[in-house]
Amino acid sequence: MNLDVKNINVSFGDTKVLKDVSHTFKEGKITIILGPNGCGKTTLIKSVVKMFAKQCDMSYIPQEIYGNIGLNVSDLVALGRYNEKKFFNSENEEDLKHIESALKLMQLDDKKGQLYDTLSGGEKQRCMAARAICQDASWFIMDEPASNLDIVHSKYILDTARDLVKNEGKSFIIVMHDLNAASTYGDEFILMKEGQIVKVCSELEPELLQDVFETKFGCVKTPSGKDVFYTE
Amino acid sequence: MRMLSHMREHKSSSDRFVIKFAIAAIMLICVMAVSCCLGSSDVTLADVLKYFTGRGDELAKTTLTIIGRIRVPRTITAMLIGGALASVGCVMQGVFRNPMADPSVLGISSGAALGAAIAIVTGLNGVIFFEAFTGAYIGAVIGAIVTWLMVFTIAAQNGRYDTSSTLLAGIAISSIMSALITVLMTLHLEQMERVYMWMLGTFSASTTDKTKLLAVVVGLMMPILIWIAPRIDVLKLGKEAAMTLGVDQTRTLAVALAVSSCLLAFSVANAGIIGFVGLIIPHIVSFFGVTRMRRRLVLSFMTGAIFMIVCDTVCKTIVAPGELAIGAVTSLIGAPYFLFLLMSSRIRSGKERSNV
Repeated sequence: MNLDVKNINVSFGDTKVLKDVSHTFKEGKITIILGPNGCGKTTLIKSVVKMFAKQCDMSYIPQEIYGNIGLNVSDLVALGRYNEKKFFNSENEEDLKHIESALKLMQLDDKKGQLYDTLSGGEKQRCMAARAICQDASWFIMDEPASNLDIVHSKYILDTARDLVKNEGKSFIIVMHDLNAASTYGDEFILMKEGQIVKVCSELEPELLQDVFETKFGCVKTPSGKDVFYTE
Repeated sequence: MRMLSHMREHKSSSDRFVIKFAIAAIMLICVMAVSCCLGSSDVTLADVLKYFTGRGDELAKTTLTIIGRIRVPRTITAMLIGGALASVGCVMQGVFRNPMADPSVLGISSGAALGAAIAIVTGLNGVIFFEAFTGAYIGAVIGAIVTWLMVFTIAAQNGRYDTSSTLLAGIAISSIMSALITVLMTLHLEQMERVYMWMLGTFSASTTDKTKLLAVVVGLMMPILIWIAPRIDVLKLGKEAAMTLGVDQTRTLAVALAVSSCLLAFSVANAGIIGFVGLIIPHIVSFFGVTRMRRRLVLSFMTGAIFMIVCDTVCKTIVAPGELAIGAVTSLIGAPYFLFLLMSSRIRSGKERSNV
């Protein structure tokens, strides 16, 4: 199912954060949202979650990481299997299988018993990713899932996303700031500015980025033919 | 059997809940029995056992009256209120994701006390039904809910609530409420001693009817809290992530806060303001490695009950035939133990970190 969003308007007090935004998020793709700080990226995906959370199964990784959670890693990941229909919320075999494989995928095996609050920023983010993965939803909506990750782990999380799209037909909406990673992994790009979608495209170009970020961009090709963007 | 095999498989994250629950249950029964024996007049353990095994008619009439009319209601009241306060503290710490959250810190206890005090001094404290349900209870419930709404309206912005401003708003409102109680007492000097003694906290006024009423309220409210407890854990992921798991933040918060203010109001109207229990008991349960909300809540109830019975037993024996205020004893016993646990866990986690 594609997620069809039409004419969203959101304002906080007097400031309009989203102005009449419409877009169709396509199934089975990695859609990446790019734009300067405060342009409404987070508000847009939060609105998407609010609109579709009841109709289709989706999982969401928020940008902000709360303190004082007071749960250990495996209990936090297990929240992804929460189901209000089960009164005794103890995990069945299938749940445990999902939890185990999500922990393994995010390389948190050795942290299972550790308190979430004592993890490093990057480990917390991987923990949240593991929680979303074990939800086994068809849509993954991630708000800067790699902002605290080192380059190896951030490549790893995006590789995982690509595998999930290819092998299991999952769909991703990702907000991120790393243009090069975006251009490597994204199937579709939404460029946002001042609460509006400026451009939707399937290939990033320096001129487009210049429009959105108001900075001069250049682009070189690596020997393997990949585009690398830089600012001047 | 199936459940047991799951638990064994899930050992890595298992907190040995069943064993801890069993230990707490045994301790609870023991302290209840001991508390029934101790007091200003002598009752032996054998007498108490006889009373509970249905051989009460073998006992002397005075002993029977002391156990049935004084000791048992008092012990059960202490158990219910200790459990209720600890559970409310546990829920609030989870909801606000703040280890400092506690009904007395957030001003809800003072709000309930103010409501009850108004009912007492204005003479609205008549019996409504059941020989126990008086105007003070209604006053306390209204006071608790009004305080909640005030704390929340002040702390919430754009439908989001910020935990530290909630705490700050609570502390400010708490001092307003306490000040209003002081003003109220000064205006009604003839009632001052009564209100003051009740506010300090005591279980000595427990009667069979009051205890039954409290048991009904706790019996209705606790299952609701236990039912929604896992949702409080899910809310820790954030509003939108909780939404994808089918948990509605506003509805869950409304139920959790309404139920806990009801529990709290009945505790306060019954035995005054007893601070500190709601703050420390959930932490003690966490120190023993139980962190999931539902399990933590159940164990908090039992630990709170045990703690309160022990404190009440100290209250009524240490300066017999006089009585100490329960609030003083909970702080004197609870605080040092809490500090001990805090320091030992610091030392432990420090060691763990240096090993890595």
